[in-house]
Amino acid sequence: VDTTQLLKGVLDLAVLAVLRDEDGYGYDILRRLRVAGLEEVGDASVYGTLRRLFSAGLLTTYVVPSESGPHRKYYSLNAAGRDQLARSGKLWRSFATTMDGLLDDRGMAA
Amino acid sequence: MTVMDGPEITGYVERVRAALADLPPEVRNELTEDLAEHLAEVAAEGEGSLVERLGEPEAYAEELRTAAGAGVPVAAPNLDRRLAATMVGLRTRLRAADRRAGPLLGHATASDFLRPLRPAWWLFRGYLVAMLITVMTTSSPGLLPRLGGSSLAGLLLLTVCVAGSLWLGRRTPTLSPWRRRAVGLSTGLLALFALVGFVDLDQRRDGDGYYYEPSSAETPYIRDVFVYDGQGRLVPGARLFDQDGNPIRLGDPYCTDGTGVQVEQEKPVLPTYPYCPSAAPFRFEAVPAAPAPTGPTPVPTGPTVPTEAPTGAPAPTPAPTAPTAPVPTPPAAPSVPASPGAGVAPAPPVPDGVAPPVPAPTSPS
Repeated sequence: VDTTQLLKGVLDLAVLAVLRDEDGYGYDILRRLRVAGLEEVGDASVYGTLRRLFSAGLLTTYVVPSESGPHRKYYSLNAAGRDQLARSGKLWRSFATTMDGLLDDRGMAA
Repeated sequence: MTVMDGPEITGYVERVRAALADLPPEVRNELTEDLAEHLAEVAAEGEGSLVERLGEPEAYAEELRTAAGAGVPVAAPNLDRRLAATMVGLRTRLRAADRRAGPLLGHATASDFLRPLRPAWWLFRGYLVAMLITVMTTSSPGLLPRLGGSSLAGLLLLTVCVAGSLWLGRRTPTLSPWRRRAVGLSTGLLALFALVGFVDLDQRRDGDGYYYEPSSAETPYIRDVFVYDGQGRLVPGARLFDQDGNPIRLGDPYCTDGTGVQVEQEKPVLPTYPYCPSAAPFRFEAVPAAPAPTGPTPVPTGPTVPTEAPTGAPAPTPAPTAPTAPVPTPPAAPSVPASPGAGVAPAPPVPDGVAPPVPAPTSPS
């Protein structure tokens, strides 16, 4: 199991999480994820996830014009997105706790 | 931050979309509708080409497909994917053939051999374009470009087309994928045009002779007319008429005499043939009224002889004659048409007026 495999399951949650406090555009979101430690995440994965969350109705978008570069499409959490983040977050915590317990039982320190 | 120029992003998006061709159109559009804007953001954030930073578009498409939950390629491949697979297989086989053919041409690969020849193809391509324009604008095109019937304009057209083709040839590698594909497609059509054109030309040349049938006085293939009478004698001053009584004009009344000097006959109102009696293709010497002892031998038989004779084989000579017997001689001697009364002339090989008189044995023995 490598990080890429794990990422597939939680990328949705990760993207929702980095958008919780601040809206962001595609490349900005990718950068935040990498800064947070998910270095293997690929641009296409983030872009694809954003597209999927958007069409699922969890995100809204707006365009910010820029004088120096291209226009940027910002994504922000809407109410449904925040709701989803809360539920998925709870699920992840319980899952993570289960995994931690499993690993501790076998004497494998985290 | 720099804004990447369009073609790179457009090309990248195109290839991503092509790799997602198996998805339902609405899903694919949803996934890629703002990909170009996204890539522009990416491009603005750092250095290096898109491929360097994001990988090949096909890999990007696969990652995108997974992340967006659009599913892996459908189990039963649709036409697009099968076509793509076929293309990949074809390309692999082509590359293998390229490598195999290389040593035969003294190069690592056949394309190594062909690459330096490209400018020659560009020249030829220019010529083909000029010919295409000629064919489209001219009723009876030949092998050289013509514009409005003028060879000079045709030359100008050729120059422009060749220059344009060379320019395009040098520029093609820098064009965007779409333009390159357009150039490739039109080049293919041009090659097809060339093939059709050359096959057509070849058929006109070897064909049934329809185009070159001698039918009028303008035809350069008939220069003179020689009329022989039923006895095989050259008829001087013959006049030809068509069914309406109009004189038939054939050839041109010029004559090269034995010294090679051109003798111009006056152009008669009513042409008489032959113009050059001395140039008659067949000649039968008037034999003295009292034939030599061997006299009767030459052509005693009738109609069958001359029809066999043209094969040139000495065999058909019907009568067992002495080798000196054949009367036909080279057309060096001036023609002495026999007078009407000289029925004793022994050499009429052609009894009917249809076939030309033929000198029977051509062997000089």
